[in-house]
Amino acid sequence: MKNRILAAFLVLLVVGAALVLRFSPDDYAAQDRDATMAPSSPRHLAGTDELGRDRIVRTAAALLIGLTGAAVAAAVSTTIAAGVGLLAAFSPSWAAAILMFVSDAFLAVPWLFLLMMARSLLPLTASPMETAVATFLVLAALGWPACARAIFSGASGLRSAEWMIHGRACGLKPRQLIRLHIVPHLRPLLLPQFLICVPAFIVAEANLGALGLGVGEPLPSWGAMLLELDNSALLARSHWIFLPIALLVLVLMVLESFTTEGKRHA
Amino acid sequence: MRLAGKIALRAGRTLLLMICAAGATIALVRSAPGFLSDSREIDAKYAQSARSRMDSDGSRKSAGLIAIHVVQGWMHGNFGQSRQFDVPVAELVAARIRVSASLLAHGLIGGWILAICTALPISALRRGRLLWGLPFTILLAAPTAAMGTACILSQMGGPVLVLALLIAARDFKFLSGMLVGAWSAPHLLHARAQGMPARALVTMHILPNAAPQLCALITLSIVTALGALVPVEVIFSVPGVGQLAWSAAMNRDLPVLVAVSLLMACAVGVAGLLSTRAFTLEAA
Repeated sequence: MKNRILAAFLVLLVVGAALVLRFSPDDYAAQDRDATMAPSSPRHLAGTDELGRDRIVRTAAALLIGLTGAAVAAAVSTTIAAGVGLLAAFSPSWAAAILMFVSDAFLAVPWLFLLMMARSLLPLTASPMETAVATFLVLAALGWPACARAIFSGASGLRSAEWMIHGRACGLKPRQLIRLHIVPHLRPLLLPQFLICVPAFIVAEANLGALGLGVGEPLPSWGAMLLELDNSALLARSHWIFLPIALLVLVLMVLESFTTEGKRHA
Repeated sequence: MRLAGKIALRAGRTLLLMICAAGATIALVRSAPGFLSDSREIDAKYAQSARSRMDSDGSRKSAGLIAIHVVQGWMHGNFGQSRQFDVPVAELVAARIRVSASLLAHGLIGGWILAICTALPISALRRGRLLWGLPFTILLAAPTAAMGTACILSQMGGPVLVLALLIAARDFKFLSGMLVGAWSAPHLLHARAQGMPARALVTMHILPNAAPQLCALITLSIVTALGALVPVEVIFSVPGVGQLAWSAAMNRDLPVLVAVSLLMACAVGVAGLLSTRAFTLEAA
């Protein structure tokens, strides 16, 4: 019941954001030069930023970009983790040791430091869409090791299950065993891993954006909108400047609740 | 003997992970766009010296050759010369390591005290745990950068407070979950029914039983704090290792990046080693 309410709330937010983008007269990049740093007005309900861009439209776009990017990156990351974890679980012990050592090597360096290093070494002066893709690609590429470890331990347990031995005795090939038996049994493990990754990736994107390494302007992102808070002139004019951060915390709290529920079910 | 063997094995593994981290950094930086150029090359007056400098420090070599060059330098206690600051890396890191270590130590201690002092009474409650834990849930959802900016805006606290809150939020989640289970253990229920005071319950039953998990939590806290070091130091302009790493990454300063990666991997490895040792001693 609680999960359904949270899911309905999240869907409502996403639909609301999509409707704002669809029916707003302004684009997320459109600049109203007569209303820079404007407070709330009938035209711009939550005011504008220093370039005169509508804050509600930009927040709605940031919400959609952040959620979509993080969900896609989480899906990619979970797929990589599932691949590596399964490969390690069904390989000889020396191959499993090597694969797990590789994931340990990733985990040996703090996550945000690793992200910052990898993202800063990719082109920073690309088009906004390219920077968004690069940011979420880095998150997906570096977010799998912890999940891979969890999947490896789950799959290792399944490998010696009685029904697996029975399946092998019946002549099922490894590919068939994985498709018919392992993946359905690992689903309760994969879903929480995916749910853990989504809020973690949103937070990581926001932190990278605040360091100037996130999604490029004029594409709105949580990180770029956090940077707005540094502008004291904007802060003095309107409290609507806190709208993006309030919404971000709300979305993350909802996603964290999903994670907790997912872990409980797992 | 078995304990010494386990520790030696773990130390060897940590060393190997550090070498891997350094190797991966070299490969990553070498293939980064802009690594083979120097901003001084734009100015005709400095172009020649910049080019010859890059040739002499081996920057134009392949990743493998750079790795050999770097390892040879380490053998002689030379961590190279910073590309952006033009000073020895060892000198640069040594000056900043004290600042970061102090920040980390204060943040960790503050975070642990806050987490333990709040998780203990909240976990003992029968109702309203969710409500009392709400501030930590909100803190857990707030990005480090947002917390830092909020501190600057409210002119309250600083980098230590942000680190402490971040660690407290993470640790509170684990601690409260662990302590809720501990409070409802049969032996504790029995002791409570016999009228044992709460203080004695905590010091005699809960804390000694939770010690191994607390040791593992220390490792997790250190890793969390190290990760948060970069945004915290950049936002608050703290001249520490995190800020140095950020500036080195932005300027493709390979020697500094390799040294910082090595330092980070070493810190995580040692933290892991400490928790393993504590666990083993506890089991013994």
